Amino acid sequence: MSVQAASQTIVEDSAGGRARAVNRMLGGIIGYARWPDGQRGAARTLCLVGAPRLTDRIAPVVPGGPAVTVRRTSADGATARSDCDILFLGRLPASDRQKLIGWVRGRAVLTMTDDDPACIYGAMFCLAGRQAGLSFSVNLDAIGRGPLRIDPRVLKIGGGEEEAL
Amino acid sequence: MTGPTPERTGERIGARTTLQKLLSRFHFGITLFAVALSGITILLAGVTALRGYADRNIELAAQLGAYGVEPALIFNDPQAAREGIEPLTRIPGIARLRILDDRGRSLIEWKSPSADPAPLLTQMFFPKPYAVAVRRNGSAIGKVEVWGDSSTLTDYVRIGLLAGLTCLLITALGTIALARRFEYELVKPLNEIATVAHDVRLHRRFDKRVQPLGIAELDRLGGDINALLDELAGWQGHMESEHAMLAHRASHDPLTAMPNRAAFDEQLARRIEQAERRGGRFALLFIDADNFKAANDSFGHAAGDAVLVALSACIKDTLRKSDFSARIGGDEFVVIVDPLDAETVPNDLAMRIRACVSQPIALPGGETYRASVSVGVAVYPDSGADATALLTAADAAMYADKLTNRSIR
Repeated sequence: MSVQAASQTIVEDSAGGRARAVNRMLGGIIGYARWPDGQRGAARTLCLVGAPRLTDRIAPVVPGGPAVTVRRTSADGATARSDCDILFLGRLPASDRQKLIGWVRGRAVLTMTDDDPACIYGAMFCLAGRQAGLSFSVNLDAIGRGPLRIDPRVLKIGGGEEEAL
Repeated sequence: MTGPTPERTGERIGARTTLQKLLSRFHFGITLFAVALSGITILLAGVTALRGYADRNIELAAQLGAYGVEPALIFNDPQAAREGIEPLTRIPGIARLRILDDRGRSLIEWKSPSADPAPLLTQMFFPKPYAVAVRRNGSAIGKVEVWGDSSTLTDYVRIGLLAGLTCLLITALGTIALARRFEYELVKPLNEIATVAHDVRLHRRFDKRVQPLGIAELDRLGGDINALLDELAGWQGHMESEHAMLAHRASHDPLTAMPNRAAFDEQLARRIEQAERRGGRFALLFIDADNFKAANDSFGHAAGDAVLVALSACIKDTLRKSDFSARIGGDEFVVIVDPLDAETVPNDLAMRIRACVSQPIALPGGETYRASVSVGVAVYPDSGADATALLTAADAAMYADKLTNRSIR
């Protein structure tokens, strides 16, 4: 399993600093993802399942990019409607997580989590809070299984030099 | 003719350089000028072209940097930005890099560890950083600034100067060789002409001629000199023959072609000196025609001349090669019999001359004449040790002989 935690984003020391940093990071990752439908500016839906650990206010900001609608839902709700372009996994039971990861396989859905610092449970991007700031790691196996395409520069940031590509 | 000559000589002494040196200097100057001119032109053109490349290089580096640091700016990640610009730090000619975020704050900055080789050149060629805005989906998210340095230029200038110097050296050597060749071709024929002129002036060798030369102008000069030498040789030959004639005329009697009194005096002095040195002996015969005045008067001067010529012929016939005869007066002849050895008896010689003379001589008027001579003998050193004493003794002996002859008749 190719997982590497590398990125270290500077977080401002203000009240909403962490939330802003998390949303900026999420927006950045979304901005570098390509869905097979090929629509660059299309609006994306983020389905939030479970309770996020880093911030409650999940509202990704894609610089100059498409608007992202955030919808809170349950694991069953996410699989039932299948209109989720992005799946954000907060803290949730392991069975739900497994179910969701299994459902995502083969679909054009970007998976991110903030409840898996080692990035070993199958989400593509794993955010983690550090003492100094915020970082994310990449699970290349998870990305490789799906039809989504991720800009290699992001993989490099989240993957580290030797394992990126 | 005499006026301007000293002036021109002075000028010639003043200019002490050789043609070869002059040509060499001239060639070297031209070569230096040409090589320097082309070298500077190439160097300037090269610097201009290279400056364009350097600008392009920095521009490309900035574009590459902008692409590389784009995610880092998105994630506001200095470490990623550092990795993003890492390829740029390996490009030569970049002095400084700076990544600014969307609010103009510096995310990271990098400075080349190697010192700028020529800060002045950098100031001149790269006064401002090249800035590229980093855009994500159309909105500016940051900026990449790249400062160039002069290392590529200095490398080029260094290599260019080195190559230029090498070229200069090679060209200089080549042109020196060519100039040598040219000088040789030009100076050799000139030297040939000079050698001939020198030889002619110093050794009077008017037979010397300038050989045909390869250069048309010099060949013409050589031809003119040859023609001049022909004329000179002609004048010289004429003068020599004139001189010989005059010398002969001065020392010889025109009628009998025998040496005259002056030549005899000289010859006698020399023979005395030789005999004195060797301890040798020689005889001096004094011959005088008898009754010559009477013959001259009765038959005419032409007849007298004929008698004198006949006398001289008899004397010449009698003598050996080493002997010397001269006509020293109207009808007076002298003979130096030298060397005087055991076989040569002066009196025998005198007898032989008398016998020869007594043969009939055909005169111009058709008559014949029998001449007779009186001969006096003096022997060195017995009769005298100097010219006057010898001559006096021989004259006295001749006079005695004349008296004897008269008394016989």
